[in-house]
Amino acid sequence: MTLENLTINEPDWFVQKRLTALGLADKLPLPTMQRFDFHNWQLTPPTRTIIKTNIASPDNYILMDLFDASNEYPDLVQKYLYSIIKADENKLMAYHAAFVNHGVFLYVPKNTVIEKPIELELQQDSSQPFVSHVLVVAGENSKFSLIQKTTTKGNQASVANCVVEIKALTNSEIKYAAVDELGQNVTSYLSRRADVDRDAYVDWSIGLMNEGNTVADFDTDLKGTGAHSEIKVVDITAGKQLEGVNTRVTNYGKKTIGNINQRGVITDHSRLIFNGIGHIIKGASGANAEQQNRVLMMSSHAHGDANPILLIDENDVLAGHAASVGQVDQNQLYYLMSRGLDKKTAQRMVIRGFLGDVLVSIPSKAIREQLVQTIERKLANGQEISENS
Amino acid sequence: MATLEVKNLHVEVEDEETKNKKEILKGVNLLMKTGEIHAIMGPNGTGKSTLSQTIMGQKNYHVTNGDILLNGESILDMPVDQRARKGLFLAMQYPAEIQGVTNAEFLRAAINARRPADDKISVMDFLKELDKNLELLDMSQAMTERYLNEGFSGGEKKRNEILQLLMIKPSFALLDEIDSGLDIDALKVVSKGVNSMRGDNFGALIITHYQRLLNYIKPDVVHVMMDGKIVKTGSADLAQKLENEGYAGLRDELGLKVNLVDD
Repeated sequence: MTLENLTINEPDWFVQKRLTALGLADKLPLPTMQRFDFHNWQLTPPTRTIIKTNIASPDNYILMDLFDASNEYPDLVQKYLYSIIKADENKLMAYHAAFVNHGVFLYVPKNTVIEKPIELELQQDSSQPFVSHVLVVAGENSKFSLIQKTTTKGNQASVANCVVEIKALTNSEIKYAAVDELGQNVTSYLSRRADVDRDAYVDWSIGLMNEGNTVADFDTDLKGTGAHSEIKVVDITAGKQLEGVNTRVTNYGKKTIGNINQRGVITDHSRLIFNGIGHIIKGASGANAEQQNRVLMMSSHAHGDANPILLIDENDVLAGHAASVGQVDQNQLYYLMSRGLDKKTAQRMVIRGFLGDVLVSIPSKAIREQLVQTIERKLANGQEISENS
Repeated sequence: MATLEVKNLHVEVEDEETKNKKEILKGVNLLMKTGEIHAIMGPNGTGKSTLSQTIMGQKNYHVTNGDILLNGESILDMPVDQRARKGLFLAMQYPAEIQGVTNAEFLRAAINARRPADDKISVMDFLKELDKNLELLDMSQAMTERYLNEGFSGGEKKRNEILQLLMIKPSFALLDEIDSGLDIDALKVVSKGVNSMRGDNFGALIITHYQRLLNYIKPDVVHVMMDGKIVKTGSADLAQKLENEGYAGLRDELGLKVNLVDD
């Protein structure tokens, strides 16, 4: 594999990161995901061209193309890029660092509060691999919402490798919402991680609506005392889709709080694995880690798994988990139908209720409504197929 | 005028664990017309709730013999939602809680389910009707924006069932122990709601084991059910008589060999 003309216009240190990673890509193992086998997926095709992002530059913070930023703000980018998710963690990250061809840099300076959610619309072109890096730095005491929507143009078989790194500095507050709608023929690896400093708060709402096979790692490292994160994931799988999701919170700091809430709806012949991983490091006294992983089966041909994995190395903590894989509650369905709603409408209402927690927390009404529409569409398709099979 | 007729109805339920089948209804006959309020009274475990759930179409109840006719048409093969759209309504003893769906949204969906796709109720008409009924039932606006029954108290759930009744306006309402767990004030409110529905286009079957509710909703006909059958039918006075003499008195008078749960 070579980097061809990716490196034109890049500063030396950036090219050096690519070259180091390129040397590692073949040596490192795939990321681990329990109960989910994806070792024979083709996830590492070389990229050849850079996809530039044009964003109008705001006044009081930086939002721009990552490659431009690496020239314009080399100190900032160099400091944070791959500082949260290391390029040598696994094969897919090394591949990412070598072949990244799309990127966005968001830097919100300290004490900056942005009222209106920042919206990022990313579109993958299926004619080439999409190796995308979103780097977010929240300065001390800053506060903002970021909504990222990712879609696919075209129907060619392709690969997406999408990484988001978030650095939440002391006492910052970030709401990050993602609506992932990569296409049916896209095989994707998503890795998102936040590093949360003292008294900072990161709120994740992720609507995983990809239509193709997906491996996802959503991580939060609660580093500083009093760091807090709420992680909400909704996921709908359809067709013969395979999806494995690791959602992990690691409590390093004292009095850190991390709550995971994952809801999946599986239709048709799809397969979904939710691993909820809570890791409390020794010394993180007063930490609190709760998780809920729930999967609703809409079809007897679908397979779902919800695995809570708790690793606790400290005594003075509160930790709990709940997991379930089940079908639509028959009492709820009966109740709604007894008021005249047909079965499909009633099912969709019950499902919407099941997903409700995550939906209500998305910080933009427009995005929320779009997500509800996507959910309705995916479920309606799933219901058709389930009925006809 | 609409009719609801239950003919020689035999119903079995299967125990989920043991898979043993047990006959609960053993030949029930009943004829109701709109414009009438019927009450079914009877001791615990006698099949009253089974009757209402079977009429509505709850699938754990298996009809082994007999028929249920709505306006002369058998509804046994109809799914629950179709029965509802044909004009049946069951106010449940234990309404389900559904997160993420607001009361108002649900009410609109239920009303629209009965209307053709090109004639949905307008927002204005809906709100007007909703406000009127909330006032009648002494319910706050806030209740309609809460998730359907979620975290409602027992009394709030019962009121909410009656609110749905008033909004949906069925031909026949089956009211399954709507008085259970209500204090006297709530009982009056719920009764007021049901009474407001009275008229030529509405009939109700009230299931209760206490006579108290019938002081507020005067029935035209009272049936007494024991051991899966209607054993006596009479006027409102029958309820009063039962209150005075108890079910055991009636059983002995009729010479029935029935064990009452509380004997």
